[in-house]
Amino acid sequence: MSNTVRVQPDLKFVKELQQFGGESLKKCYQCATCSVVCPLSPADNPYPRKEMVWAQWGLKDRLLNDIDIWLCHNCGTCSDLCPRGAKPGDLLGALRNMAYKNLAQPSFIGKFMSGKGLPVLILIPALIYLFIWIVRAGILGTAFPLFEMHGHDLVVSKAGQIVYGGLFPGDFTIDPIFAVLALFMLFGFASGVSNLLKSFASMPKTFIVGRKKEPSFLCAFIETIKYEVAQHTQFQDCGADEKSKKRFKGHLLTMYAFLCLFFVTTVVAVGHWGGAFLMQKVMGLTDPLTQLLTVAGATPMPLYSPVKILANVGAIMLVLGLTFLTSRRASLDKAKQGSSFDDWYLLTLIWVIALSGLGSEVFRLSGLATIAYPTYYVHIVAVFMLVAYLPWSKLAHLVYRTVALAYARKIGRIPMQPVQH
Amino acid sequence: MAEKLGVYICGGCEIGKALDLAGLAEHVKNSKVAPLCKVIKTNPVLCSPEGVAEIEADIKAEGLDGVVVCACSPRVKWDIFRFGDKIQVERVNLREQCVWSFQDDAKVPGLLTLMAQDYVRMGVTRLSKAAIPAPEIPETSKTLMVLGGGFTGMTAALNAAALNRDVILVEKGDKLGGKALNMYKTFPLAAPYDKAQDTGIEKMVAAVSGNPKIKVLLNSTLESLEGAPGLFKATIAGSVYDVGAAILATGWVPGEAKHLEPFGYGTMKNVVTSAQFEEMAKSGKIVRPSDGKPAASVAFVLDMDLALKDVSYDAAAACEPPAPLAGDAPAEGEEKPFVYEQTESAKHLAISSEISSLVALKQAGYVAELNAGAVAMVLYDHMMVPGINEKYYKAAQDNASIMLTKAVVTGVTESGDGSLTVAAKDTLIGDSIELVADLVVLPTAVVPVTAYEPTMNFVYRQGPHFPDLKLFDGFVDSNYICFPYETRRTGVYAAGCAHQPMTMANARDDAAGAVLKAVQCIESINRGVAVHPRSGDLSFPVFNFVRCTQCKRCTEECPFGALDDDEKGTPKPNYTRCRRCGTCMGACPERVIKFDSYNVDQIGSTIKEVQVPDDMVKGGPRVIVLVCENDAYPALDMAAFRGKSWSPYVRFIPVRCLGSVNAIWVADAMSKGVDGVMLLGCKYGDDYQCHFVKGSELCSRRKENIAESLKRLGVEAERVEQYEVAIDEYDQIPGLIEKFMTEVITKFGPNPFKGY
Repeated sequence: MSNTVRVQPDLKFVKELQQFGGESLKKCYQCATCSVVCPLSPADNPYPRKEMVWAQWGLKDRLLNDIDIWLCHNCGTCSDLCPRGAKPGDLLGALRNMAYKNLAQPSFIGKFMSGKGLPVLILIPALIYLFIWIVRAGILGTAFPLFEMHGHDLVVSKAGQIVYGGLFPGDFTIDPIFAVLALFMLFGFASGVSNLLKSFASMPKTFIVGRKKEPSFLCAFIETIKYEVAQHTQFQDCGADEKSKKRFKGHLLTMYAFLCLFFVTTVVAVGHWGGAFLMQKVMGLTDPLTQLLTVAGATPMPLYSPVKILANVGAIMLVLGLTFLTSRRASLDKAKQGSSFDDWYLLTLIWVIALSGLGSEVFRLSGLATIAYPTYYVHIVAVFMLVAYLPWSKLAHLVYRTVALAYARKIGRIPMQPVQH
Repeated sequence: MAEKLGVYICGGCEIGKALDLAGLAEHVKNSKVAPLCKVIKTNPVLCSPEGVAEIEADIKAEGLDGVVVCACSPRVKWDIFRFGDKIQVERVNLREQCVWSFQDDAKVPGLLTLMAQDYVRMGVTRLSKAAIPAPEIPETSKTLMVLGGGFTGMTAALNAAALNRDVILVEKGDKLGGKALNMYKTFPLAAPYDKAQDTGIEKMVAAVSGNPKIKVLLNSTLESLEGAPGLFKATIAGSVYDVGAAILATGWVPGEAKHLEPFGYGTMKNVVTSAQFEEMAKSGKIVRPSDGKPAASVAFVLDMDLALKDVSYDAAAACEPPAPLAGDAPAEGEEKPFVYEQTESAKHLAISSEISSLVALKQAGYVAELNAGAVAMVLYDHMMVPGINEKYYKAAQDNASIMLTKAVVTGVTESGDGSLTVAAKDTLIGDSIELVADLVVLPTAVVPVTAYEPTMNFVYRQGPHFPDLKLFDGFVDSNYICFPYETRRTGVYAAGCAHQPMTMANARDDAAGAVLKAVQCIESINRGVAVHPRSGDLSFPVFNFVRCTQCKRCTEECPFGALDDDEKGTPKPNYTRCRRCGTCMGACPERVIKFDSYNVDQIGSTIKEVQVPDDMVKGGPRVIVLVCENDAYPALDMAAFRGKSWSPYVRFIPVRCLGSVNAIWVADAMSKGVDGVMLLGCKYGDDYQCHFVKGSELCSRRKENIAESLKRLGVEAERVEQYEVAIDEYDQIPGLIEKFMTEVITKFGPNPFKGY
């Protein structure tokens, strides 16, 4: 560490960081309490103290290439115990927020990820689906139609039922749009991950005694999925107080809820496009597997369908998890730990998705068409936002953090197996 | 001389339980001092209203002129045992020094009784040799002279005027305001202490100029100061003024440029000092001197490692070897002409580091304020912002335009376009770094004017300057805890940067304190009493010039330069300069100097009252301890109060200062058969704690002479030993006594003069 570094403080960058949630970073007087109390920070070159110094000096390059911001799980212990109220935890959060906005291409979407850009982000899906709604209402003769089955066709009927697919036919208004969005999202992540890995290239490799050779990325990735993702091991170590436990439970529930719902969506998609469309319609198959697939993916599902049960369990888990996370965030001492736009954006969005999803089901079953359709509309808009802007939102951590943790394993920044405490 | 004494023995606080009070009274009645004692009484609780009333009644009925209170330490209940101006009081400390700290020795019976008897007789003798002093009260001037028309001087002048004093304000320059005139802003002077603010100097100049009590003398210096406090004759710009006391607020000048050369100062145009930078800010433009372009980045270098590499902080290097005692001084006519030794050095950069830190924070704030978007970088080794200024530091840290780092600056280089590169190591990020800056600002050392010239120009025998300035790098000596304003010259009080590098907020308080001290000085002189530290003491040194041999020891050794020579070469006392320490009395080989209430005969007679058994094995040894009453005596009281105890063979005798210890007392003790003499006084040296600055140091040097005399008599020199005790080192006292008893008395055995 004796190489001379040419330092040019970038005060614009400091101010930018302050805007992204690190407003107290200048208060730090480098006592290193934060690095000492952090339950996760490695002994060698610990964070977040060094990040605080870099931030105060405006050393943009170092901060943007820093893998340690992904090792932090933001328990807030450092900010809690900081004698100057410098909130190092918030700084790392701010750096991650900056990363979300800058890593993925096209990066202009990241620029909209703020209080100011939010209306634009909402308006895009809102207008698309409002347009579809108006057109469909014109065709169907009503904006809140009830349907009956006539053979294989849905027919508007006053005595019928609410069928969301009747108003917004999945084959034309949902699935193609979301397929495009998913591709867009995947492209965003591909560019983001590539940029992330490029930024890590400058990280020093840790020499570990007894380690014969560096593990492969895949190996490290599998370990990361096994521990940090599936078991939340880092989360478990991160903070021992009541609030941190709440966060651990909330995050775990939310993540598994998402997995459940992702599985349900996959079954529907595969059942519909794979079973009903590809195998039945195009290939003309009638074997039991095709029938099972078709039935499993057909919507609306009866309440006894195991897939539906899974969907409902997932929804309840999601609401429970969100309740934990929200109550914790709302009860944070603002003097110790702040919440940024990105924190609230994601929580609110998932709340809207969960509640509007549940609402859609409940109102559909209770036959309240004038409430059910708008609720469903909100649900679609929210899901659109979640998917389309995912690489630029806080939820992107599910990709970036996983990649970063795997990379940190690979270079020895964190051990392959978590250390048992 | 007190001749009709009342002796009162108290039985309270366990004294009555440990001692046979009636037996003690009986002993006094049958002793040699009995004729002096008109009344000898015991009382169960002397400090009770009844006890005090009894004494008062006896004073009236018997016409007593002195009271010997044999009870507790004189440091307590002094307000109770006080019987008016005509009655002298002597306190015999039976409680702390006798009963509470008694440690029995089974080999010799009745030790406690013997000790108490000794102390009571010693007290009676001591009082019988004291008289109430009657000082002459001089006609004094109440005018205060303030030297220096800067912020400190003007604050002092305004404070003095507010106290309804006439003030003469002397300013060397052609206008008032001093260094503050060049300042754009100053560090915060008021809550919330987080913003630099206007100095307010113009308003202050107007207030001083318009104040009828303040006479401002511009373009003037103090040419000489003759006389003594209350009676000073100050010659200023050729005119003579009567002055009561003076406030030294001559402030500072910037340190010399040569110390900053390692940072490129003088060779690189864009390296400036903070004083130059302040002027730039005052003019409203922060530009590069090389091309006049606004500076977009400014590096403030606080780490002065490169300049301080060869600086020694070794006190011994700064202190001269102690001058020979006056008696050994060269004969008259050989005296060299006075040359003032300048003390400016690179060390002033280090001494000024608190101010430098604050200045850098302040000026770093100017950078973005005056040049939008510009960056200030502060490289410090130690950010020194004690006290309330921590808030100012925090505010600077919050400023996004200021980058701060700990660093050791290794060099400054210049590139073709005049911009500078500062190289530094040991920074906060662990790496060595290089910073590019348009301007580099170096600290300005605060060097007191007194480092260059005597300033006060005293017409004193000891010279025109304050002594020992070298020890303090030219800053005026004062004890920053006990006596923050008092200089080594009574009646002259230092304030502001003459004192130490300080902020305007501190200088404001300093000026107020110095004014109060100056007023106190004049008001004490008006009453014929000492100013400090023996505030209110009526006694003063009386010289019997008939026997004076003009050896000049007293004039040389007086720590305060109180003695001049008269035309014939005899010492000429200036009572209002004197602090009543008795150093002259201790110095005089002819013993011609005395105080009415404290003199050579008195202490000598007291020593002779100690009964020394002829046989050391049967009766035990005896040791006299001469105790400095400022710090060592309170430490003894504390030790006793906290249950410490020590040898029953020591007898304590309080002295004003170890400087007042006359060699004859040791001779008296030795001829009486005392086995050893301990001298218990303050720390001396460059971090001295002596109330009279030089007393304990002089004593230690005189002790060497005493030791030689003892050797000639065949007595071991080791029987006289001096120990340094701080007031809070009470816990070490038993150890010191133990050490003396074992190492000296056990080792050398009985005094060979015993029994003669």
